[in-house]
Amino acid sequence: MSVANSSHRAALLRVLLILLVAQNLARCQLTPAPVQICHSFHCFGEMCYQEAEFANQIAECEPEEHHCELIQLTTVHYMARCSPRCEGEIGTSYSPCLLANNSAPSPGPCSLQCCSGGPLCLVLSLGHLTIQEDKLVLTPPALVRNQAVQGVLCEGDSRQSRLLGLVRYRPERGVQEHALFLYNHRRMAITGDDVSLDQIVPVSRDFTLEEVFPDGELYILGSDVTVQLDTAELNLIFQLPFGSHTRTFLQEVARACPGFNPETPDPEFLWLSRYKCTEQKPSQRGWNSASGTWPECTRKGEDQPSIGGGGSWGGALLEAVQAGRSERCDEELEGADWEMSAAAGSRERDPAGGSQSDDLRPDGKGLLVDQSFRGQDKPDSLLTRQNKSKSEITDMVRSSTITVSDKAHILSMQKFGLRDTMVKSHLVQKEEDYTYIQNFRFFVGTYNVNGQSPKECLQPWLSHGIQAPDIYCVGFQELDLSKEAFFFHDTPKEEEWFKAVSESLHPDAKYAKVKLIRLVGIMLLLYVKQEHAAHISEVEAETVGTGIMGRMGNKGGVAIRFQFHNTSICVVNSHLAAHTEEYERRNQDYKDICSRMQFCQVDPSLPPLTISKHDVILWLGDLNYRIEELDVEKVKKLIEEKAFHTLYAYDQLKTQVAAKAIFEGFTEGELTFQPTYKYDAGSDEWDTSEKCRAPAWCDRILWKGKNITQLSYQSHMALKTSDHKPVSSVFDIGVKVINEELYRKTLEEIVRSLDKMENANIPSVSLSKREFFFQNVKYMQLQVESFTIHNGQVPCQFEFINKPDEESYCKQWLNANPSRGFLLPDSTIKIELELFVNKTTATKLNSGEDKIEDILVLHLDRGKDYFLSVSGNYLPSCFGSPIHTLCYLKEPILDLPLKAIRELTLMPLQTEDDGSQLKNHMDIPKELWMMVDYLYQNAIQQEDLFQQPGLRSEFEHIRDCLDTGTTDTLSASNHSVAEALLLFLESLPEPVICYSAYHNCLECSGNYTASKQVISTLPTFHKNVFDYLMKFLRELLKNSAKNHLDGNILASIFGSLLLRNPAGHQKLEIAEKKKAQEFIRQFLYNSP
Amino acid sequence: MAKKTYDLLFKLLLIGDSGVGKTCVLFRFSDDAFNTTFISTIGIDFKIKTVELQGKKIKLQIWDTAGQERFHTITTSYYRGAMGIMLVYDITNGKSFENISKWLRNIDEHANEDVERMLLGNKCDMDDKRVVPKGKGEQIAREHGIRFFETSAKANINIEKAFLTLAEDILRKTPVKEPNSENVDISSGGGVTGWKSKCC
Repeated sequence: MSVANSSHRAALLRVLLILLVAQNLARCQLTPAPVQICHSFHCFGEMCYQEAEFANQIAECEPEEHHCELIQLTTVHYMARCSPRCEGEIGTSYSPCLLANNSAPSPGPCSLQCCSGGPLCLVLSLGHLTIQEDKLVLTPPALVRNQAVQGVLCEGDSRQSRLLGLVRYRPERGVQEHALFLYNHRRMAITGDDVSLDQIVPVSRDFTLEEVFPDGELYILGSDVTVQLDTAELNLIFQLPFGSHTRTFLQEVARACPGFNPETPDPEFLWLSRYKCTEQKPSQRGWNSASGTWPECTRKGEDQPSIGGGGSWGGALLEAVQAGRSERCDEELEGADWEMSAAAGSRERDPAGGSQSDDLRPDGKGLLVDQSFRGQDKPDSLLTRQNKSKSEITDMVRSSTITVSDKAHILSMQKFGLRDTMVKSHLVQKEEDYTYIQNFRFFVGTYNVNGQSPKECLQPWLSHGIQAPDIYCVGFQELDLSKEAFFFHDTPKEEEWFKAVSESLHPDAKYAKVKLIRLVGIMLLLYVKQEHAAHISEVEAETVGTGIMGRMGNKGGVAIRFQFHNTSICVVNSHLAAHTEEYERRNQDYKDICSRMQFCQVDPSLPPLTISKHDVILWLGDLNYRIEELDVEKVKKLIEEKAFHTLYAYDQLKTQVAAKAIFEGFTEGELTFQPTYKYDAGSDEWDTSEKCRAPAWCDRILWKGKNITQLSYQSHMALKTSDHKPVSSVFDIGVKVINEELYRKTLEEIVRSLDKMENANIPSVSLSKREFFFQNVKYMQLQVESFTIHNGQVPCQFEFINKPDEESYCKQWLNANPSRGFLLPDSTIKIELELFVNKTTATKLNSGEDKIEDILVLHLDRGKDYFLSVSGNYLPSCFGSPIHTLCYLKEPILDLPLKAIRELTLMPLQTEDDGSQLKNHMDIPKELWMMVDYLYQNAIQQEDLFQQPGLRSEFEHIRDCLDTGTTDTLSASNHSVAEALLLFLESLPEPVICYSAYHNCLECSGNYTASKQVISTLPTFHKNVFDYLMKFLRELLKNSAKNHLDGNILASIFGSLLLRNPAGHQKLEIAEKKKAQEFIRQFLYNSP
Repeated sequence: MAKKTYDLLFKLLLIGDSGVGKTCVLFRFSDDAFNTTFISTIGIDFKIKTVELQGKKIKLQIWDTAGQERFHTITTSYYRGAMGIMLVYDITNGKSFENISKWLRNIDEHANEDVERMLLGNKCDMDDKRVVPKGKGEQIAREHGIRFFETSAKANINIEKAFLTLAEDILRKTPVKEPNSENVDISSGGGVTGWKSKCC
């Protein structure tokens, strides 16, 4: 499990040149400078990076030199300078490894290139990887890189490092396929050809990559994520480094899976065929085979993205694996010079060639990843001092009680609703309600080890004379001064010191390692007492380099942030710039660390956390502030006199803090120990070297936050390995501990209050009335009932909605006005329910098939539904009643019981008067006779009869007279009666000329004999009515001199009333209308 | 702590004769309160409440329906989409108990086939006015293979338990899903469309 840090340890890349250029690029993007400034130096080996004063002169370039150039002349000889061109000096004997330009006025950043003629290249950046998709517009066609991560392939007991790269192929818009490329890589992989393709796993439908939890192993925070790759053919287990990087990668892969949507075509993976040759020749796997290339592949075609598949892709992956998420350069990857760099690469290799791995190298620095974890097998004297072995530590970590649950879900969890955010912010607000302060003991230690390996037991520093602390924060500087540590970010010292610390932790308690983070020589270790492990969460670690060119890792800081119970804690270990006079650089380094140190949050939608956003900050390290203005002898004398107070005044850190230049809000304990720098190694003697440095309190510990009590602050003279002495401080820190019961209660309250809020936000209105009774509804008489909707506090949209299986929200005779609308909070609207019975609805109401009864559903969008009940009684009328029914009604319709009307209305229409039914009937409806007779008596000479509209009020009177049989009281204008007659004919459910005879009539139109024949087939009552009406109309025509009526007018008026198209009220064609008129006309001019 | 606020949304429905206390049952569960004045529900009301079951946050959207007979044809249209239905009768009202079988038929006709049903005999605090013995409730529940509780919204007896049990039964039937599963609509919030979506 402690492979966890293999990402730091594994020899992944990092050529100085690449970095330099990248950093330069990144920096210049941040602050474009008018004048190009480049490093300019020749240097050899370690001198190049150890101390700025030995190399790395900064030069201002000539106006036409817009680029910085970095050249590796031999494996140890480097050169940097300004350059007028971006392309490098191709063709010269040495390899211009990388170049970059960055600023105006040159045309865009010229990519760096130490990579290949292929489309891809090592791109660089410090830190972790993220790839920007937008630069994927590169060749080859639509082949893009998405994500990559370095992991460990577990096969049985074997552990091999692999680079996993997710590659997307998008041949055309909307179509994409993915494959996972697995690469072997050489231990100190630098360029693309140190990487070789191991295999390609197409992301097919049966592809899964899932996090798994090995049986019996408990999940440890900060430990590797074990994932299982499954396809139909494969089953592989990988361990990926913990953190947001891996999380992103897994999410990307999950997103790449084709899913099971049958609509999308099965991926075909034809594009992978070009890599097939590498798969077919497993024996040639490995960087060292045939100088890292597969000729048969490279010659396949111009568009091949790689040398041997592994080369440039692998290079890109290398870059991907290490690329920083914070600073990135958008390099164009053209004009690359792969061949040359490949040559350079091969020169770098062991000339013996065949060596399989670097652990055989004579310098012995390159332990294989897996081997480096078995350090205790080596006959190392370190092991003899310990009281805990490495394996024991590991076991303890395993047995800690953190459960898998949360973090695992977070990996796949992206949705965070608004409600969630509110719950969280409420929880933060109410923190005091459910937490209490409990003191925990923190040990904070810092030690500049000057590149040495551990030679002494660290117990005097870490555990003597104290109680077992709850948390250990142990920082080192100058862990490894070697070239490899700097170039390749890889050092065996990490493991050595980790082990030395682990073995010297307090013997009274068991500790679990939470996290190890290292930037070159700056390392920070965080341990927690095993029983507290469950309360550590959200662990993130980051590094910031402030060294060479402001970015390199020879100086800078590393930090681990975590949540302990409910308190957020950030521990920073920094190694700031050296030299007495450079305090301003140190100040700047401090500020850079503060501003550039950013931790990803669990919720990716939240902005990254900075150091200052923590409840507790512990800052330790070789801050390198010196004692100034006093000569060496004076300092030593004051020290001898223990006159530390006098010395404080000259301590740069004290004066800079006092000047508020740095560490604002931080506290440092009183310095009661003598300066910790600089001693002759192995002794307590002050530096006797030529330089004879003045003693200084380089190594310091500061803190910021509430409830922090420093219990001790001291140096440890007993340790003599380094030219520094280690410093330690023990704190009691009040941590906010959650009272589970109160927490649950608080959470419950919050959830309740949110529920309450949500319920209160459901639109709700009050209605002034819900039951509506319409009394004595009459034919063609509008009745209106109104009510008001009073809205509550939520704006809402209301609408009457249809009931199931109904075509409108209410019955035909009803209408709501308005039927929909929008209401502001607390506003009111008046709704009118209009009831109007017309010819279409009257018959069923007469017959009782329909009633004045309805339920309206008033629906509020996102809210409740209200039911409104409508009821009432309808007064039957001759209007809307069938002719034959009326013929049987000897009494006025309103004098009859409803039941009788109902029966008569529903009585079927008889075509033959077989006389079997009621004998007691009239020949025509008396109501018709009443109206016609009235007109005959009063309006026979009336001008404009049937053409001038009547009065609505008079119609109601006429209707009432007819329905109550009180025609003797009828007093209305002739026009009103005429219109009532027309309405009567219009509202007949079966027209005078029955629907069934309609087409016959039209056909015989013009043939009077045939027409009469059709009329004779009508049911008796209908025939009677027709004859009666025709007789009346002929009477009218006799008076045409007075009333100005003519046959055409009457035929056109009565044609459409007596002859009605059975298809309903469709617009009649003119020809059809004409025929109907003609049909009637015949009867107006011919006597029967 | 950064958990989702809720993982699942369950739509529950309260049905039963008018006056058996459906609204009070809901009011007790959602607001932990009781109101003695009877206001007949004329329409469809709903409230939400978030509960936690088996580590999952579940949002219950509980629909309260009008019990009056004249609204039955309309209210049955709200059955569709309900994952759980609580059928409530009043232990002091024999008629409301007799109607149980009619309500059950309604459920069969109009609700989803796999809807989880539950029978509640409400007003169990009024033992002196009881006309439906507990055994009869248990028997009819057994016959139909559904759960039964006697509850009192007024005395807060078994209300929470009934809802949680119903939610648990639904949860048990709900296939284990990843949080992003689309089978469960977690995005609609309080969105209610009635049957409107069907027609227009």
